[in-house]
Amino acid sequence: MFQSIIDWFVSIGLRLDKAFIEGGRWKLYLQGLGITLELTVIALVIGVVLGLVVAVIRTAHDQQRVGRRKNPLLGFFNVLCHIYTTVIRGTPMLVQLFIWTFVILKTERNKILVGFIGLGVNSGAYVAEIIRGGLMSVDVGQSEAGRSLGLNYFDTMRYIIIPQAFKNILPSLGNEFITLFKDTSLVQAIGGMEMLYYAYTIGGRTFDYMPPLIGIALMYLIIVAIFTRLQAKLERRLRESDRR
Amino acid sequence: MIDVKNLSKSFGDHLVLDNISEHISSGEKVVIIGPSGSGKSTFLRCLNLLETPTEGELSFEGTVITDPKVKIDRIRQQMGMVFQHFNLFPNMTIRRNITLAPVRTKLMSQAEADESAASLLRRVGLEDKADAYPAQLSGGQKQRVAIVRALAMKPKLMLFDEPTSALDPEMVGEVLDVMKELAHEGMTMVVVTHEMGFAREVGSRVLFMADGKIVEQGIPDTLFTNPQSPRLQDFLSKVL
Ligand SMILES: Nc1ncnc2c1ncn2[C@@H]1O[C@H](COP(=O)(O)OP(=O)(O)O)[C@@H](O)[C@H]1O
Ligand SMILES: [Mg+2]
Repeated sequence: MFQSIIDWFVSIGLRLDKAFIEGGRWKLYLQGLGITLELTVIALVIGVVLGLVVAVIRTAHDQQRVGRRKNPLLGFFNVLCHIYTTVIRGTPMLVQLFIWTFVILKTERNKILVGFIGLGVNSGAYVAEIIRGGLMSVDVGQSEAGRSLGLNYFDTMRYIIIPQAFKNILPSLGNEFITLFKDTSLVQAIGGMEMLYYAYTIGGRTFDYMPPLIGIALMYLIIVAIFTRLQAKLERRLRESDRR
Repeated sequence: MIDVKNLSKSFGDHLVLDNISEHISSGEKVVIIGPSGSGKSTFLRCLNLLETPTEGELSFEGTVITDPKVKIDRIRQQMGMVFQHFNLFPNMTIRRNITLAPVRTKLMSQAEADESAASLLRRVGLEDKADAYPAQLSGGQKQRVAIVRALAMKPKLMLFDEPTSALDPEMVGEVLDVMKELAHEGMTMVVVTHEMGFAREVGSRVLFMADGKIVEQGIPDTLFTNPQSPRLQDFLSKVL
């Protein structure tokens, strides 16, 4: 009985050693984690830039003065943006990644680059909706006050609406960051060497998948937990500045 | 100063302003009264094109401002507007609320605008609030700042949409006092209000609106003591 518990610990120790220590394998996990974080951050940056453009076009289109001749160029871009968000939000992320890899960018050999684009373009559609919601949550009286002072549309957006919308947008962007962080694991499926890729490869090489997979699951969990904490702190700060 | 010709406004198939023609001269203090939903706000908001008229023509100092080619921002810079709910910018200090528009529209440098903000705030007794945020002010103080913010653009005309309706009764006086002072200085004003005392004291002309039309108008004394139309008689019996 006693002996078998010791044996179990010894065997777990050996398995952990093989999965994480032997041959300096832990460095591979860290390398994978680095790529995973890089994918998250760059995709989010692409997402925010795309999302901002789409949100501004769609809001500007919706806020055109009724009864006046509509701007045809704005109408065209609005339709384009609408198609973009509909297609991206209506299809699975993995299918989109495969389409980028095997259809659109099939000659690109750097799969992480394809991952940046696939994740970023996907994220942009969601961020656009987040930003649009944030802009719409600002009282119309604010833009009326700005325009009645003679400020133009862009100054009103820039100095009055966007700063106020930001407070509503920031928490949702935090959620988008967490979603993206986890979704980067899909890039493994197109051959991108991120964290899951290394765990999966090491599992295959040592004929023991359990330790590396549980190990990276813990890493995802810990990072998400840290980020959630930071997010809660930030939200508290924003609420306090409201009470100012 | 303002010429309104056959102005109509519909929201969907709801006709809110029905073929209004009116002229407002420089220096006039026009008070608009009427039951709720009669189109007073919509009329006022058409004057600076916050609402786009469905039909009709508006001119401001000889310029047809309903012409799509007109630079509407330039026109609005010359018309101040004060809202029922103040609409101060909560993300900025009072000083910045006041100086943002004059600086961004290149009417003044930041230094000039700061100076003008300080002297305007002094006039309404709020010089110590320049660095405060709107949330730190009472309703009456907010509305006085809102008036000052509009004045900072040196407008030729001020539009007021029920400026005291959202205030606690004890704060109504301080806002009306600022408006009275402005009137004495000769500002052209169009004021939608339920304050009949103010209408009597300050108004050079009162328009009574009902169902999207100007039903009756005249100098305050005549209009209040000798109303002609049954609608106005009925309205006055309720509010006086
Ligand atoms: N943006 C809008 N969309 C639809 N209906 C509106 C809008 N603004 C005002 N109305 C309608 O127009 C009518 C007149 O409104 P308003 O001008 O605000 O009246 P008042 O200021 O005299 O109370 C009301 O029936 C109101 O419901
Ligand atoms: Mg009204």
